[in-house]
Amino acid sequence: MPFSLLSRIPFAAACRRLALACCLAWTASAVTAAESITIWWAQWAPAEGLQELSQEFTAETGIAVQVHQIPWANFQDQVFLDFGNKQTSFDIVVGDSQWIGRGASKGLYMDLSDWLPKAVNLDTILPQALTYLCEYPTGSKKYYAAPCETDAVGFAYRKDWFADPAERAAFTAKFGRDLEVPTTWSEFRDIAAFFHRPADNRYGCALLTGRGYDSLVMGYQNFLWAFGGSWGNGTTYAVAGHINSPGAVTALTTMKGLLAYGPNGAGNFDYGNCLESFTNGSTAMAMDYFAFFPGISKAMGEQAGFFVVPGHQGKRMASLGGQGFSISTKTVPAKQAAAKQFIAWFSSEAVQKKWITKDAGFTAHAGILASPAFREATPYNAAFADSVSIMQDFWNVPVYNELLAAATQYLGEALDGSLEPQAALNALAEAHENILTEAGLLK
Amino acid sequence: MPIGSPSPALSGSSLPHPRGPTSGSGWLKWSFVGPTLLVLIAFNAYPLVYTVIHAFTDADITGGAWSWVGFDNFAQVFSNRTFAAKYGAAMRTTGLFVVLAVGIQLTLGFILALALKKPFRGKTALLTLLLVPMMLSPAVMGLFWNLIFEGSYGPLNQVLALFGLDHNQQPVWRTDHRFLCLLIVDVWMWTPFMMLVSLAGLNAIPGSLYEAAEIDRASSWRVFTRITLPLCAPLLGLAVLLRATDALKQFDLVMAITGPNQADTRTVSALLYQIIFGNGKVGLGSAYACVVLVVVIAMATLFTRYLDWMQARQGRAG
Amino acid sequence: MNWLRTTVLVLYTVIACAPLVWLGLTSLKPPADATSLTLKAIPLPGAEPDSVHTFAPTFAAYASLGTPPVSGVQSGFWQHCLTSVIIGLVSTAAAVALGTCTAYGFSRFRIAGAKDWLFFILSTRFLPPLAVVTPILIMYRHVDMQNSHIGLMLLYTVFNLSLAVWLMKGFIDDIPKAFEEAALIDGYSRVHAFFHIIIPQARTGMAVTAVFCLIAAWNEYGFALSLNPYEAKTVPVYFAGLQGNINGIPWPQVAAGALVFVAPIMVFTVLVRRHLLRGVTFGTIKQ
Repeated sequence: MPFSLLSRIPFAAACRRLALACCLAWTASAVTAAESITIWWAQWAPAEGLQELSQEFTAETGIAVQVHQIPWANFQDQVFLDFGNKQTSFDIVVGDSQWIGRGASKGLYMDLSDWLPKAVNLDTILPQALTYLCEYPTGSKKYYAAPCETDAVGFAYRKDWFADPAERAAFTAKFGRDLEVPTTWSEFRDIAAFFHRPADNRYGCALLTGRGYDSLVMGYQNFLWAFGGSWGNGTTYAVAGHINSPGAVTALTTMKGLLAYGPNGAGNFDYGNCLESFTNGSTAMAMDYFAFFPGISKAMGEQAGFFVVPGHQGKRMASLGGQGFSISTKTVPAKQAAAKQFIAWFSSEAVQKKWITKDAGFTAHAGILASPAFREATPYNAAFADSVSIMQDFWNVPVYNELLAAATQYLGEALDGSLEPQAALNALAEAHENILTEAGLLK
Repeated sequence: MPIGSPSPALSGSSLPHPRGPTSGSGWLKWSFVGPTLLVLIAFNAYPLVYTVIHAFTDADITGGAWSWVGFDNFAQVFSNRTFAAKYGAAMRTTGLFVVLAVGIQLTLGFILALALKKPFRGKTALLTLLLVPMMLSPAVMGLFWNLIFEGSYGPLNQVLALFGLDHNQQPVWRTDHRFLCLLIVDVWMWTPFMMLVSLAGLNAIPGSLYEAAEIDRASSWRVFTRITLPLCAPLLGLAVLLRATDALKQFDLVMAITGPNQADTRTVSALLYQIIFGNGKVGLGSAYACVVLVVVIAMATLFTRYLDWMQARQGRAG
Repeated sequence: MNWLRTTVLVLYTVIACAPLVWLGLTSLKPPADATSLTLKAIPLPGAEPDSVHTFAPTFAAYASLGTPPVSGVQSGFWQHCLTSVIIGLVSTAAAVALGTCTAYGFSRFRIAGAKDWLFFILSTRFLPPLAVVTPILIMYRHVDMQNSHIGLMLLYTVFNLSLAVWLMKGFIDDIPKAFEEAALIDGYSRVHAFFHIIIPQARTGMAVTAVFCLIAAWNEYGFALSLNPYEAKTVPVYFAGLQGNINGIPWPQVAAGALVFVAPIMVFTVLVRRHLLRGVTFGTIKQ
C-alpha cells in the first residue's frame, strides 16, 4: 500500500485488520493442512491395497490420503533419514515391527498408549499382533503403533506337481511315503531333493537368504526356533548359549544344506528373488511372506498351493512380519489428528472386512482370522490363519539394526562357506553381546 | 591431433611463477581470489570442525539430544572386537581394491598405449570411443552391470554358455565373486584413463632417443626398460596417485553392485554410509571420518610433494 | 608385431564396448526378452518370442520412461532428468565463473602462499564425500535446505570449484601476457583487461572446464543420495532407488534411461576430446 494511503488509516484499525487477516490465513492453512495426509510404506501389493481402500476414507471425510511406496531395501534408511529433518515428509509411517524400539525411544513415534485403547477395541486384536507390532517395551502396555498389516513367513508350492500321478508314484517308490505337504524340515528336504532337476531348469526350493535388510534373518528364524535355538533371553538380554546352542548349529547346517536344491544364486535371494523363482515356473517350493501370495495366486491360479513353515520334533514357529501405523511426532498437529482419524477408521471391523478383500491385506482382527469364512475365502488364508498363532519376532530394541546387520553378516558367511556354522554362530553371539552391552541392555 | 604431438610431458605451468605486476594492487588481487578461498574454507573447515567435535558425542541421524562420550567412539574404531564395523577390515578391503584395481588398470592401459602409439586411420575416433567408459556415472553403470552379472539371464554367463560352460559350471558372480565384480567394473571404467596418460607419456619421449638406440642396435627389451619405462615413469606415477586417491573414495560402485552391508566389499566410504545412514550413529561415524580424514590428508600431502618433485625435475631438465 | 597390436586393440575394443552395446540392445527389448535365459543379441523385427538369439526391437521402453516403476510415486524419469540438468547447469556456471576469477588471480598476481593455497584447493577434491556429508546435512537441516535444488547446487559449486580453478589456471597461463600488458600500458584497468581480453581468449578453456564440471555434477552420487533422497532427486539417485523393486528391475526402462542419461556425456566427451587428458588429470598434465 502506498505510504500516503496507509497514513490515513487509523493505526489501531489497521492492526485489527491485520490480526484478523492473519487469523483467517492461519485457520485456512490449518484446514488445508489437514486436508491430506501422507503415508510412507514399502513398495509391495499391500500398499496398493491401502491406497485403494483409503479412497473410501477420502470419500467419507474429504481428507486425501497419499501412500508413498519405497522399495524394501531402502525403506528403513529413508524413513529414519527423513525423521532427522525438522518436519517429516510423511505423517504416518507403516514401519516394520522391529523399528518400534528405535522410533519409540528416540521420540519419533507418537505415544498412542492413551488413545489406542479408546479408538480400537484391543480385545479384538490378535495378541501376537498387539505385542509385536504395537507395544514397546514388550509387556509394558505402552503403544506406539496401531496394527496395519499382519504377516508371517510361509511357503508356496506347485500343487500341480504334487498332484501329478507320475510324480507321486516316483516319490513313493523312492521314499516309501506319500508326496504330501511337508510338516517337518526333513520331509521338506526329501521333497526338495526329489524335485531338484537342474538339467530341466527345475529346482527344489528357494529360501529367503538375501543380504540387504532382513531377508536372511527372516528366513533363518524359521529353522532357528524349530530346532530349539533362540536369539537370547528377552529379559536379561543374555545371548551366549542361545544363539550358538547345538540346536542353532543344526538349524544353520540344515538351512545351508537346503541351498543345494535351489536355483543358481540361491544363497542370496531376497523377497523379490524368491517370488520370481516361483512365478517363473522353475521352483517347487518357495519361502516368502504371505503378503506376496495373493500375487502368486493371481498369476498361477490352480498351480499354486500354500503351506505353513515346517517344524522339527513338534516345534514349529514362523517369522513374524507385519507393520503398524505410527504417527510422526514431527508433523503439524492438524495432520496428526487427521492421522488418528484415519487409523481409527481403518481399524473398525467393517473396514477390516474390506481390508482383507484387498490384495494382500491381512488383518489383525482375531475374530475375522478365526472365522471359517476367512479360511475358505482364498487358497492362502487357511495357512495364514494357522501361521499367526505360531509367529515370533526378532529383537525390537533400538539397536535392532546393528543386531540385524551382524546376524546377516555371519549367517551369510556360514551360507557362503567362508565360516563353519559353529564358528559363525560363536562369532555372532560375541558380536550381539558387544552390541547389547554397548547399548546398555546387557549388564 | 593433440595426443600424437610431441611436447613436454608436464608443461610445468600449473604452478605460479612470480610474474605479473605486483604494484600494490593488494585489494584487487584478493578480490579475484578471495571469494573462492572463503567459500572453500567455510565449506571445508566447518565440516572438519564439526566432525572432530561430534566424534566425541553419541549424536544420532534422527536429530534429538546428544551427550559427550569421551573417547568411547575412538575405542570402538580401533577395537579388536569381533563385529565387523571394524575400521581395519574396511581399510584392508579398500587398500586391496586400490592396489589391485590401479595395478591392473596401469598394466592394461600401458599395453594399450603401446598398441596405440603408432598413428593409423581412425585413431582419434577409436581413442575417443575407448575413452567413453571413464566419463560415465558409476552409480548408473554399476546398476546396469548387475544385469550383466546376473546368474541365469545375464549376458556374461550366457556368453560363457556359448563357450561350453553349462549351468552348474557358470560362476554365480554376485554371490560368490563380489569383489571380483567390483574390480571388473572399475577396471572397465578406468583403464582408458591410464591408457590416455600412458599415451601422453609415450608420445613425450623424443624420437631421437629411439633413433639413437636403433643405431646402437639395442634390443627391443633394452629399449623398453632403459628408455621407455624410465621416461614414462614420472607421468605414470602421477596418474597412479590420481587414480589411487579416487579409488580410495570408492562408493558408487559398491552401493550399486553389492550394497553397504557386505563385509568383503565394504570400502571405507561404504562403511561410513552403513554407520551413519544405516545405523544412524553420527557420533561414531564422525570418529571414523576423523580417522579417514587423517589418511586423506596424508595422501594429499604425498600427492602435492610428488607434484612438487616433478615440477623441480622438469625445471632442472629445462 | 603389427598383428599383435591389432589383435590387442580389436580384443579390447570389443570387450570395452560390449557393455555399452548391450545397454543399447536391452533398451530395445520387450520386457520378457530382457530377462530371457538365452543370449538374445540380434534385433530382428518380427522375431518370435521363443526364438533363441533374436528379439523384436521396440521403442516401448523409451516411450514409457516417464511412468514411474513404483506406483504411489509422483515423479518419473523426466522430472529427475530435469532436476539433474538444472542443478548441473547452475552449479557449473557458478563454479566456472568463480573459478575463472580465482585462476586469473593466481596466474597473474603474486599472491602470498599461492602454492599452498593451490594445493589446499586441490586437496579438497581428495575428501571422500561420505566423510564430510554429515555436517553439511545437519547444516542444511537447520535451514530446511535438504531435499531442495538449491542445496545441491550450492554444494556442487563448491565441489567443482577446485576442478574449475586448476583447469582454468592452466588455460589462463597459456594466454600470452603481452595482450594484457599492452592494454595496461594503454591505460585500461586490470578488471577491464580481465573482462575484455582474458575472457574472450579463454572462451575455449571455459567451455572445456564447464563440460568437466557438468560431467562431475551429472554423475555425482554420494552427496545426492545423502542430501536429496526424497525430493529434488537426481538421476543417479533415482536409478539406485530402483534396486529391490518387488516386481523386478525394469531392465529395458533402466537401459533406455541410462542411455538417455549418458548420451549428453558421450556427446560432450567427443566435443572436448582434445582436452580430455588435461580435464581428467585435474589440469596437472597438459599436452
